[in-house]
Amino acid sequence: MDQVKIREYDKNKNPFRLFGAHVAAIGEGIKHAIKPKTITLKYPDVSMTLPTNYRGMIRLYKDVCIGCSLCAMICPADAMKMTTWEGKKLPQINFGRCVFCGFCVDVCPVDALKETRVHDAAFQSRRELVFNPDKFNQDFDQTLPVKGTVRKVRAVIDENKGIRYVPDE
Amino acid sequence: MMDILQDIKYVIFYPSFFVMIIFPGLLVGGLFILFVIWFERKIAARVQMRVGPYYVSRFGGIAQLLADAIRVALQEIIIPAGVNPTLYVIAPIFPLLFAFLPLAFLPIGVIPEQGSVFSAYYRSFFDPSVGMGVIAALPTEYSLIAVLAVEAAYPIFIILQAWATNNRFALVGAVREAYLSVAYDVLILMSVIAIAVEYHTLDVAEVVQSGIPGIVANPLAAFVFFVGLIMATSRFPFEIVEAESELVTGPATEYSGLLFLFSMGGSYFGTYVYALYFAAVFLGGWYPLSGFPGAVILFLKAAIIVLFSVFLRSVYGRYRIDQALRNSWRLLLPVALASIVLGIVGGWLWIR
Repeated sequence: MDQVKIREYDKNKNPFRLFGAHVAAIGEGIKHAIKPKTITLKYPDVSMTLPTNYRGMIRLYKDVCIGCSLCAMICPADAMKMTTWEGKKLPQINFGRCVFCGFCVDVCPVDALKETRVHDAAFQSRRELVFNPDKFNQDFDQTLPVKGTVRKVRAVIDENKGIRYVPDE
Repeated sequence: MMDILQDIKYVIFYPSFFVMIIFPGLLVGGLFILFVIWFERKIAARVQMRVGPYYVSRFGGIAQLLADAIRVALQEIIIPAGVNPTLYVIAPIFPLLFAFLPLAFLPIGVIPEQGSVFSAYYRSFFDPSVGMGVIAALPTEYSLIAVLAVEAAYPIFIILQAWATNNRFALVGAVREAYLSVAYDVLILMSVIAIAVEYHTLDVAEVVQSGIPGIVANPLAAFVFFVGLIMATSRFPFEIVEAESELVTGPATEYSGLLFLFSMGGSYFGTYVYALYFAAVFLGGWYPLSGFPGAVILFLKAAIIVLFSVFLRSVYGRYRIDQALRNSWRLLLPVALASIVLGIVGGWLWIR
């Protein structure tokens, strides 16, 4: 049998120090248990205001679009496809395929595509995930099925915890 | 009419029935274990900056465990092809049974001659070494060893369970259990021998009635026993047998439904019974109370031990099997030997 040499950290060879380290670890755990630093956002009850450059769902400005089909060509997930809509070449998007990379927004020569701040959406069927140019032309809006009002919060950097939430007006 | 009520009361409070079925046995123990699993999830969540069970019921999602238990219990029991169905079904019941049975030998209180609910059984449960009756399902003068003797059968049935399921994850888990069981049984037995030598007795009731908690008389033995307890019931950092990220759930991998509940309940009942034993031997047990209030004190002490041992999940990672074995043989065995020496010295100079 080959002897496999397992390398170990050389720290804490002294058993008393080892015991002290265990006690310190348990103490740290108890400290966290008594005074938790929970950073979970209780999502459907509390909703976070997203930053303005957030890459959410993409929308189209139908009147600006020149139908160059660059967006459909650059799309890495084949989500964007060109269709003929009321006599004009316009893109349609399948959000079931979209990976939200934003290439289409970047490549558009006339800025007819924009990223919105909405990303929480639910659909009844896969067919609804395909947005035709008319549906694609509006800001996506879906009311969440939540009882009562949704509190809006904003994430700020906190030096102790990492993230802290403050109420957003 | 009153006679019948008296008879019912006599039967219910008969220690053999009361200890095993009602308190601290199946009924209270089962409810407590449901609470413990909820507590384990909640405390781990708090330490890890999460929330844990939240939506089910008003208070911290405490009904989540009931919901989960009902869901798991009503799942279909799938018996894989290529196993012996009889063995497969009865295998998870044995670990649960042998985690729970040692409670029969463990005294949970003493019976004064008068003034307690249990005083009617003073004669039949008389313990000559204590000079009082003991509340135990099976009073014996060797309870210190008898509990461990029955509990020691537990790993054998874990291995049987893994063998019966014919699954390679289960077999790897069983081999780990076999390695570990030798290590922790030695530690637990040696620390208990230290206590037996120090108190000149093999009776838990006599240890408690001496009035000196074992943790004061022999702190080394208490420490070694506690580590052995964590290893024996596979709590973190020794959750090596059911290592979820490596072995699915170890010996319980193939089980579903009620059989899964049995196989997981075994380790929790084991923790509970070991904790009762630890509270009696090392934490002063029911002393100085007697009768039912003493048993409640013992239960509360054991509850703190169980809650602490499940809390360790949020502090530790998991040791590798070789690390756990090396630590137990190289670091804890000398401590166990030292505890025996301390026990001899303490028994010679201090405790008569």
